[in-house]
Amino acid sequence: MSRRAFAALVRKDLLLELRGSEVVLAMVAFVLAAFVLFRFGLGGGRPAGGTRAATGMLWVAIVFTAMLGLLRTFAQEREHGIWDGLLAAPIDRALLWLARACSTCLFLIAVQVVALPAFWLFFLQEGPAPDYGVLVAAVVLADIGIAALGSLVAGLASAGRAREVLLPVLFLPFAIPLVLGAVSATTGTISPQTSGLHTVERLGYLALYDTVFVLFGWGLFEFVVED
Amino acid sequence: MNTTAAARLDRATFAALVAAVLMPVALGLIFFYVPNDVDQGFSQRIFYFHVPIAMTTYALFGWGALNAARYLWTGDMQLDLRSYVPMHLGVIFGTLTLVTGSIWAKVSWGTWWYWGSTELNTFLIIFLFYCAYFMLRFSVEPGERRARYSAVYALLGVGLIPISVLAVHLGQDVIHPITFTDHGANMDGSMLFTFLMSLAAMLSLAVAMYLVELRGKRLDDQVARLRRLAQGTP
Repeated sequence: MSRRAFAALVRKDLLLELRGSEVVLAMVAFVLAAFVLFRFGLGGGRPAGGTRAATGMLWVAIVFTAMLGLLRTFAQEREHGIWDGLLAAPIDRALLWLARACSTCLFLIAVQVVALPAFWLFFLQEGPAPDYGVLVAAVVLADIGIAALGSLVAGLASAGRAREVLLPVLFLPFAIPLVLGAVSATTGTISPQTSGLHTVERLGYLALYDTVFVLFGWGLFEFVVED
Repeated sequence: MNTTAAARLDRATFAALVAAVLMPVALGLIFFYVPNDVDQGFSQRIFYFHVPIAMTTYALFGWGALNAARYLWTGDMQLDLRSYVPMHLGVIFGTLTLVTGSIWAKVSWGTWWYWGSTELNTFLIIFLFYCAYFMLRFSVEPGERRARYSAVYALLGVGLIPISVLAVHLGQDVIHPITFTDHGANMDGSMLFTFLMSLAAMLSLAVAMYLVELRGKRLDDQVARLRRLAQGTP
């Protein structure tokens, strides 16, 4: 039952997105514009600050892009009264969160399929090629963290008076350690000599972040939804 | 005034008295008793303010988070207040930690903020988290939902603290003066005594402020209820 309910919930999110294209296209346009902005900000010709500055920009852009998507999280449910139906359904409340986190994660990955090549094109094409396996692992792990925490925090923010303002304020303190870990992991894939840490440690940190906030999301979401 | 209110008054007064005694004693020890640090000289004395204030902030946060968890468990609105008040005081003590840490950084490293310091940066993240807690709290209408949301966010902070410490270590190069190691305190007897006295003073001050603010908030609630009764609304 719960597996079917979960699949139905994720399918609903993906179908809505496929038919309406409300979120992913906007996120792609936003992240590309942000890259261009950062590229000009770092100066023409070769970007200042090297790989480290570039990956920092990448993750700041991704976090802001994710926030754009998270702002729409639960918006349709509230605007069209879907919540009442979902809450009346005999399913675990935590499943609502899990399904939302999964679809957010899939949206983020879809955005990054476009964003990462663009990032390489704008910032790194003259440098060494990254270790693609590690890069993909780092990006997916960071996406899981953003989606798990973001879906919980979006639930909290959606009841506030100024949802659009509240979400970034609630989310960003938690994004700082994630960005630190993701930048460390991504920089390590491009220039491994920058730090003594091993790839496993960097990815391990991101996995730990995911584990912690997946557990919190799973345990706490039932207190976020209305009775 | 009923007996519980009187007992509460007594506790608050008692805590305030303890703080009023300990604070001047701690100040006296810091400025007139403890010897200068060999490496950092006179300026190291800010340590006896900075570290106890930081520890008090963590203690307040811990108490707030514990009560948040208890609130979610029991649904008792009193626990919501007991979770909110330490978070509120935590912002005040947190601001003081950042200010004293910044002054210490200026004196010993020559810069107001050192981005390589694990403790300063971890604390900055936690401070931002505290501020966000308030934004959440003040943007939801008072009541059971606000209590629930505040508690959930407060508990998320329990995950944030260790994660932040690790994250800041990841991007780390150096140096915060290491005072406490695995082998105990790296201080001589007089310094440890002064430090502990200062810590006791800060903690008793925090407890006194906590009890007084809690009383104030409860009175606010009672006044609001009486006003509603007087206006004939439930």
